[in-house]
Amino acid sequence: MKKILKIFFPPENWKTIVVILLGIFFGLGVFVLYISNAASYLSDEPKTCINCHVMYPQYASWEHSSHFRATNCNDCHVPHNNFVNKYYFKAKDGLRHSTMFTLRLEPQVIQIKEAGINVVQDNCKRCHSDMVSMVSLTEVTGKNYREGKGHRCWDCHREVPHGTVNSLSAYPSALVPRLSPVIPSWLSKARDKENTKSIQLKK
Amino acid sequence: MKSIREITKQRPWVPWVLFFVTTVVVFLIGLFASSIIERRSESKLYFQVVKEIAEWEPDNAVWGENYPREYDTYIATTDTTFASKHGGGATIDYLQKYPELVVLWAGYAFSSDYKQGRGHYHAIEDITNTLRTNYPQPATCWTCKSTDVPRLMDKMGIANFYRGKWQDLGKEVLNPIGCQDCHDPKTMDLRITRPALIEAYERSGRDINTATHQEMRSLVCAQCHVEYYFKGEGKYLTFPWDKGQTADSVEKYYNEVNHIDFIHALSKTPVLKAQHPDFEMFQTGIHGQRGVACADCHMPYRREGGIKFTDHKIQSPLNNISGSCQVCHRESEATLLKNVYDIQDNTEQIRRIAEKNHYIVHLGCKLAYDNGASDNEMNPIHQLIRSSQWHWDWVAAANSMGFHSPVESLRVLALSIQKAQEARLLLLEVLLTHNVKLPFTIPEIATKAEAMKLINLEIDRITGEKAAFLKDVSSTWKKK
Repeated sequence: MKKILKIFFPPENWKTIVVILLGIFFGLGVFVLYISNAASYLSDEPKTCINCHVMYPQYASWEHSSHFRATNCNDCHVPHNNFVNKYYFKAKDGLRHSTMFTLRLEPQVIQIKEAGINVVQDNCKRCHSDMVSMVSLTEVTGKNYREGKGHRCWDCHREVPHGTVNSLSAYPSALVPRLSPVIPSWLSKARDKENTKSIQLKK
Repeated sequence: MKSIREITKQRPWVPWVLFFVTTVVVFLIGLFASSIIERRSESKLYFQVVKEIAEWEPDNAVWGENYPREYDTYIATTDTTFASKHGGGATIDYLQKYPELVVLWAGYAFSSDYKQGRGHYHAIEDITNTLRTNYPQPATCWTCKSTDVPRLMDKMGIANFYRGKWQDLGKEVLNPIGCQDCHDPKTMDLRITRPALIEAYERSGRDINTATHQEMRSLVCAQCHVEYYFKGEGKYLTFPWDKGQTADSVEKYYNEVNHIDFIHALSKTPVLKAQHPDFEMFQTGIHGQRGVACADCHMPYRREGGIKFTDHKIQSPLNNISGSCQVCHRESEATLLKNVYDIQDNTEQIRRIAEKNHYIVHLGCKLAYDNGASDNEMNPIHQLIRSSQWHWDWVAAANSMGFHSPVESLRVLALSIQKAQEARLLLLEVLLTHNVKLPFTIPEIATKAEAMKLINLEIDRITGEKAAFLKDVSSTWKKK
């Protein structure tokens, strides 16, 4: 056992340099986690979804819809049948998104994929089950849809909640929350004025 | 297992491989980090600011270079073609439409000229052209007319700005109501730029910086579309909200600070003139109660190709029923229009009763004075007229002809009529004591000209002065 561990330890006279190099290595890693807001991806906060600006139209349209009051992104876009599935789906979806974004492969009009459709359809019913109990009889169920027999809620409710205009440039001046700056506030305080909703004039 | 030292001794290339692999990995992490940073900074470009906008930039066209759609729709406020039954962007000469108003405001500049304001773009032109600015006015009048105001206030100091003469700032105030009045030039966030609203909030112990975005979509309008007065010698713009925002609580405030807008030329009543309490009135209505903002109806979203943005053609929602009302209401345009007109017609009907009452009571007071009535006898009548005319004006001066808050409008008008009737009863007693033959004759007036003749208003002289002023003075103010 000791011998196996030993292989990972550098010789005595290398130790200092290896520790420093490892420090640099981990420091870089932590920096990447920090600038990418990595911790925020564990939360349900809708702001997380606009860490990338390509989601601004989706954020803006949701924010101006009636669903704004009652839901966040994850309520509809990740499964809620169990904890493991929720985070598995989130990780899967998120890694795909981050890869596309990093490699600049995002399309001009973002469209939902099959896996996402199924999740959203189930989530419509999660809240609106009472309301749709009659509708389900006419085959609007996630199960029927998956089997190619039925419809999705938004085949009819087309504007819910993101509207029908979804290109990256659809909301050019939408007032969405912006990323907080990388430089911490105590460092930039001297330079920037705090954002207020009223101006201060000389008396 | 051998130690690293041994491995290295036997195969000297191993550390080199390790070195290069590490180099490549660190290089890739570095690339990844800079890619993240690069894409982060892209989000800052999301607003696509072509040209930086300076802090006090008054020129709307400069903002327009960055926000062409908003600017184009803003420019559309030049449109004066739309007239609804009771409003719109077309000019309505209210004195011609309701000639009694001339008599109600006898002794005050409003009796010479009072028109439905045109769109925001015309603000400076309209204030320059109105006969009301023939009378000496303080610079405070500019406060709500131009994007140059915050800049001037910052330069001169707020109190100093108000203290000046209206005419003296004509050369400085060139850009009509526009972008900077409501927006932060850096972030485009909504922002309050007029001190009166901030101060009114402070006096009531509230901080306007805690307002939500939806509240801000009304509060930016409330910088101007409210009841206000010019306080004291310094003509300091003040919102009379310390006791509340209803007609009655504002009246209580004015009585306490003993504010008088003018002494009526015929009846000698110390009159309160209402401005346009649109914001106050709207909040008492059902739309206000449900959290609808001014911008929801007056600046609805609009689609242009694949792009959705806020329509900056601030106008009567009746000119865009599908964009305004039908976002929430599923009835047909015709039905919705009828609903609005029903409310407005009813309000107008009651309002006219109040107007005619005041017309009679002011003339009656003059008759009493002509027959030897004393100020002492007349004082209780004055107090009643002051209150009744204030209540009438609270509805009459507000835009929307009652629609912003139908029940409140009719309640306030009812109070006005009741108080005016009380005044008429008291007046009859005074007239009887002075042996005036009753009923006294009330002259019929059908036009503005007849009404002006009745109060001996030298309208030709005033119009002539204005023409000279426009030719000699204000023509030099124009933007170069």
